[in-house]
Amino acid sequence: MTVKHTSTSGAFFATLKRDLLIAYKRKNDLLNPFMFFLIVASLFPIAISPDPEQLSSISSGVLWIAALLASLLAMDNLYRSDYEDGSLELLLLSPQPLYFMVLAKNLSHWLVSGLPVVLVSPLIAYMLKLPAESYLPLFLSLLLGTPVLSLLGSIGVALTVGLGSRGLILAVITLPMSVPVLIFGTLAVQEPRFGAELAGYLAILGAMLFFTITLAPLASAAALRISVN
Amino acid sequence: MNWTWFHKLGSPKSFYAITSRWLPWLIAAMGAFLVVGVLWALLFIPPDYQQGYTTRILVVHVAVAGTSLAFFPIMAVAGTITLVWRMKLADMVAKNAAPLGAWFSFVTLATGSLWGSVMWGTWWEWTDARLVSMLFQFFLLLSVVALRSAIEDNDKAARACALLSIVGCINVVIIKYSVEWWNVLHQPNSPVGMSNSGANGPEFWLPTLVMIVAVYLFLAVSLILATRNEILQRERKAQWVQDLVASS
Repeated sequence: MTVKHTSTSGAFFATLKRDLLIAYKRKNDLLNPFMFFLIVASLFPIAISPDPEQLSSISSGVLWIAALLASLLAMDNLYRSDYEDGSLELLLLSPQPLYFMVLAKNLSHWLVSGLPVVLVSPLIAYMLKLPAESYLPLFLSLLLGTPVLSLLGSIGVALTVGLGSRGLILAVITLPMSVPVLIFGTLAVQEPRFGAELAGYLAILGAMLFFTITLAPLASAAALRISVN
Repeated sequence: MNWTWFHKLGSPKSFYAITSRWLPWLIAAMGAFLVVGVLWALLFIPPDYQQGYTTRILVVHVAVAGTSLAFFPIMAVAGTITLVWRMKLADMVAKNAAPLGAWFSFVTLATGSLWGSVMWGTWWEWTDARLVSMLFQFFLLLSVVALRSAIEDNDKAARACALLSIVGCINVVIIKYSVEWWNVLHQPNSPVGMSNSGANGPEFWLPTLVMIVAVYLFLAVSLILATRNEILQRERKAQWVQDLVASS
C-alpha cells in the first residue's frame, strides 16, 4: 500500500478550494452579510438625520461599525457546519499543521463575507454622503481591517463552536477585541481630511493584519482543539 | 533551601492547608494597612491647592486602578499553567480572578467618575485614554466570565477561558496603546487639570503607597478565600474535605 503524502501548501489550497466551493453552492449565505451591511448602513440616516452635513460627519464610523457587525454575524458559519457534520474533527486529525488549515478557512470566509462588504462600501459611502476624498482611505482601510476582524472573530467562534446558543456570547467576546481595528480604521478615514498622512494609518492597519495572521490562527487552532474533543 | 512547599501549593489539599496557616497573617496585615491607609487618606491628607479635598478619592482610586491591572497577567499565567500542565489549582484561581477583576475595574471606573464629576465637571470623559481603556478591560474581563458560564463542561471551560485570558492579556495592552493614540490624534483638547501632577508631594503619595499595599493584600486575601471555596466545592467528594466538614 502506498501512502500519498499531501504537502502543507496542498492541504492549504485543498481546504481553501473546498470552503469556497461550499460557499458558492450556498449562494444565500453568500448574500446575507452583504445585505446586512447594506440594510444596517441605510438605517442610520433614518434613525439619526437625513441632513447631508450630519451624515457626512458620522458616515465613516457608521460604515466601519456596519462592517464590523456584518463580519460578526457572518462569523457563526465559520466552523459550525463543519462541526456539525464532523469534517472539523477530520481536519483536526489530519497530519498537516492546523495553523494553515485555519488560515485557509479564515481566508475563504473573508473572501465570501468580508470582501463583498469592502467592494460595496464606496456605494454606501456615497449614500451616506462621505466626502469624496475619503473614498480611497475608506476602501483601503476596510481592505486591510476586515481580514483582521475575521481572524480575531475566528478565535471567538472556535471557542464557542460546541455551545448551544452562541450568538450573544460570540459578540461579547469578539467586539471588545475589535476596538484597535475600529480606532485605526476610522482614523484612517477621518484624519487625512485634516492633513494627516494616510500611509501611516494604513501601515498600522497592515501591521495589525500581519500580527493577527501570524498569531490569531494559532489561537484559533488551539481553541478548536479545546472545543472539539 | 527547601522548595517542596512550593510544589505542594499545586495540589488543592496542600494549598488549603498552607493557606490556612497564611490567611490569619495576611488578613491581619491587610486590616492594618487598610485602616492606616483609609484613615490617613480620608482624614489627614491636606487639601490640594487646586483640587481641594477631592484628592482623597484618588488615594483609593489609584490603588484600586493599579491593582486591577494585575488581573489579566494573573489570569494569563494561570491559564498558561492550565493549558500546559493541566493543574487544577491554576484554573480555580483563574476562575475566581475574572469576576474579581471585573469588580476591581468597576470600582476603578466608579471612583474615577466620582472624582471626575467634581474635578472635570463630568462623570464620563471619552478624551481620557485611561478611562476608555479601563472600560474595555472591564468588558474583556466580563467576556471571560461570560465564556466560563456558557460552557458546562468544567475541564473544557477551564481551557477555553485560559486561552481567552491569554488572548485578552495581549489585547488589553494593544487596546491601551490604541486608545492613547486615538486620544492624542483625535481630541487634542483635554479638560483642565486632567493630569494628576498637581498632587504628588509625599503627603499624597505616602498614603497612596500604603493604600496600594492594602489593596494588593485585599486582592490576595479575597482570591485565596475564593479559591479555597472553589477547592471545597470541586473536591467535595474527597475524603479530606468530608473529614474537614465533619470536624468543623
